[in-house]
Amino acid sequence: MALEQYKEDMGMCCRCSACKFVPMQKVKGSEFSYICPSISRFNFHAYSGGGRVNIGTAALKNGMNYTDKLLDVVYNCQMCGGCDTSCKYAMDMEVLEPISEFRMKCNEDGKTNPALDKVIAGLKKTGSMVPAKGKRGDWATGLDLKNATKEKVDVLYHVGCLTSYDKDMQKLAKSTAKILQKAGVNFGIFGDAEACCGGRAYQMGYKEDFLAQAKKNMAMIKKAGVKTLVTGCADGYQAFKVLYDQFDLKGDLEVLHISEYIARLIKEGKLKLKKKVDISVTYHDPCRLGRLGEPFIHWNGKKIPGDRFVFDPPKEYRRGIKGVYEPPRDVIKSIPGIKFTEMTRIKEYSWCCGAGGGVNESNPDFAKWTATKRIEEAVSTGAEAMVTACPWCEKTFNEAIKESGSAMKVYDIVELVEKAL
Amino acid sequence: MALSKEVYQEFEDVVGKENICDDPAIMPAYYNTEFAAVLLPANTAEVQACVKLCNKHKIMFRPICTGWSGMFPKGIILMDLRRMNHIIEINEKNMYAVVEPYVISSELQAELMKRGLNFCIKGAGSNCSAMLRGHGHMDQTTSGDDRNHLAIEWITPEGNIVRSGALGSSDEWFCGDGPGPSLRSILTSAVPPGVTPGVFTKAAIKLYHWPGPAEFPIVGHSPKYTFSEIPANMMARYYSFPSVDKMWQAELKLGEGEICYELMGFNVAMVAANITTCNEEDEAMFNRLNKETQGPGFFVIIAGNSAVDFAYKKKVLEKVVKDNGGKSLKTVEDPELEGILMCQCIRISASIRETFRPGGAFNSIPIMGQRDLTIKWAIGAGEAKKPLIKKGYIVDDGGAFFGWGVEQGHLGKTEIFCKFTPSNAEAKKAVETWQQEQTRRAFTEKYFASTMGPQDEIGPALLNYNLWWNKTIKAIDPNGVSPEGGALV
Repeated sequence: MALEQYKEDMGMCCRCSACKFVPMQKVKGSEFSYICPSISRFNFHAYSGGGRVNIGTAALKNGMNYTDKLLDVVYNCQMCGGCDTSCKYAMDMEVLEPISEFRMKCNEDGKTNPALDKVIAGLKKTGSMVPAKGKRGDWATGLDLKNATKEKVDVLYHVGCLTSYDKDMQKLAKSTAKILQKAGVNFGIFGDAEACCGGRAYQMGYKEDFLAQAKKNMAMIKKAGVKTLVTGCADGYQAFKVLYDQFDLKGDLEVLHISEYIARLIKEGKLKLKKKVDISVTYHDPCRLGRLGEPFIHWNGKKIPGDRFVFDPPKEYRRGIKGVYEPPRDVIKSIPGIKFTEMTRIKEYSWCCGAGGGVNESNPDFAKWTATKRIEEAVSTGAEAMVTACPWCEKTFNEAIKESGSAMKVYDIVELVEKAL
Repeated sequence: MALSKEVYQEFEDVVGKENICDDPAIMPAYYNTEFAAVLLPANTAEVQACVKLCNKHKIMFRPICTGWSGMFPKGIILMDLRRMNHIIEINEKNMYAVVEPYVISSELQAELMKRGLNFCIKGAGSNCSAMLRGHGHMDQTTSGDDRNHLAIEWITPEGNIVRSGALGSSDEWFCGDGPGPSLRSILTSAVPPGVTPGVFTKAAIKLYHWPGPAEFPIVGHSPKYTFSEIPANMMARYYSFPSVDKMWQAELKLGEGEICYELMGFNVAMVAANITTCNEEDEAMFNRLNKETQGPGFFVIIAGNSAVDFAYKKKVLEKVVKDNGGKSLKTVEDPELEGILMCQCIRISASIRETFRPGGAFNSIPIMGQRDLTIKWAIGAGEAKKPLIKKGYIVDDGGAFFGWGVEQGHLGKTEIFCKFTPSNAEAKKAVETWQQEQTRRAFTEKYFASTMGPQDEIGPALLNYNLWWNKTIKAIDPNGVSPEGGALV
């Protein structure tokens, strides 16, 4: 879809500013009422969902007006979809889609961000979104895991770039492997042959690079005969589950996030969490597991001429409500000894960790600022630790904590589950 | 018209480098106007300094809060008050809250409900500034308009700070009319900080008793948040009546009884819009509700301060409805929909679903005055909508209007919408013509005089108020830097 195809959606913006806040029923006071990190940090209306959409409308009318400020607006957005969910509480219109198309148009016109160009150059060279030091499968050395490119497995564990290469994050891959082994799952990894899902390239506006990764991955998956893929990364989950489907690449591959899979294993009695983990926690919904993890809906219709914005066939909007919200909570609550408290902004109206949309690379200070706001919210619950389900969230939170000196601890859900085994 | 480097620097020295922008790329985000620059002042002192600079350089300026619409001359300075978003004080004892312009109603209301208080959420929606003057769904008990503004801190168009009411002679905000200067006739902005020239930087808002829970028991996901249960001391119903006269008599009686927390003269199109989650569902629900109703109607929320009080209010409500041949809409009696509507009308003030969702735009004729008289006018204005509906220009709402009692029916508000698609030029033109004709008819047939109507005819009939207003504005804005721009929310 090109920006042009969202002309009428963008024309529906009534500039009500709902895109800046969590849905009004969920506003619980003067604290934690905003949903959009970008408008919260940069304040000019251009940085809000509505402002971006209005700039899109003007671009269709008058052409792209490239300035440094415009590119600052474009790339200082985590593409977290909070604006989209809040708008769609009351309106029938697309918000995140045209924002994403606008960024892709910038990319097509060569108006990219140097920091993101560097990341994509690395992707093209190494198949990774993070610097590839050593081999991708090194983390699994000595764990005796099956290589799914050579052996038939029931489940492919797609580890992801950050978890594979970042020494601080490899613990998540090891925990996941231990959990799956304990449950007796016949699983494997692609090891050194694993490649980036491409999801973060898509968020950054590099559609072609995303598609190249997606095609490569699906060819490998088909060749390996994999029917079920489990990912521990929210970006990976959204890529395989939603984006691959959007571009008709997913086929009948079952895509599960590790939190969903663990919840299933517990329910089936294959995994028992027995050890007490004495800690009070709150849970952070990763955007791409939550509201942006909602399955893609294939729809092709036309607006019915007349007074209302309605279509033939009727359009079912993706409003961020069918993401993965309960399984991680169910898993956390099933760990003996855990005290669980919710934050103010949760599920479809959760606040982003700050790392998405390439902001982690293009403006790390903004990423940390966003994470700090979330940590403050977690602290307000009285919890000792935040649990999340994405290595990018954990990394960004830890960086912000290190800088601020907060006592808050951060765990991925697999770390807590491993403690309870 | 861009600012010179030197002038830009002067503004930058006030608000800081991060908080001024004259890049043309960001202007379309605001409105279809080329602003000289957009400023983000952080406090009263910065607003004052910016206004003084505007006078020094003879540059016009306009302040805005969350947005919606407005008229903005080319080349003006836009003061986006987004950084002024603090609740300064909630004074429970004296029942007022002091807010900056960018505190939204939803934020303030959530804080108030925890304290057993509430305030008038304007019809523009709880996503808009808490400081707005205007009317809303809860007018029956919270009143509306300038009744709810107490002391105000105002930067005049020349850049002086004026503190009205009690604030003019003390550091208290409890009264808008004294013992300091009242200025009520000047600080009459329909939607501050818009129509009154200058900038409102803080205002005290009158608070009211809230008999409901500290927080509504909301469950589910957007866009369908529901209540896990209806609060035991609250009830919401929609009643339709055999005639406008019967409906009006019931409104009067309920007002006399002072039993309604909210009495909102919704038409069923607006009920349908509020309880549905998309346009298709909305249309189907409207057709369903239309079959259930017997005529015009209103939506009522009652809230008891005790079980006995609740039972009493319920009994009075049922009697008044029965006496006037009213019929409860069964669909709204469904607790799920009852909860949605209760929440929409108290926490959301409904606005976006019932105005913008269908087509993206609406035009309206709002009027405050004697309900019985304005209803008579609205019936005609509704009939005049029907040809537009037939041509497919506007959303079919059956030609309906709406309105509600204010202060238990002591006053009343009536309004009528046309919802349309702004990209349809013919529809837009037809709606504008309808608006002009019906406003003129209101004046010529002596129902009321809307200031949206023809000024040259209405002015002389109203003691030439417009000429006096213009003279007043000229006196307080000698440099003409603070243009009027129409409603702004």
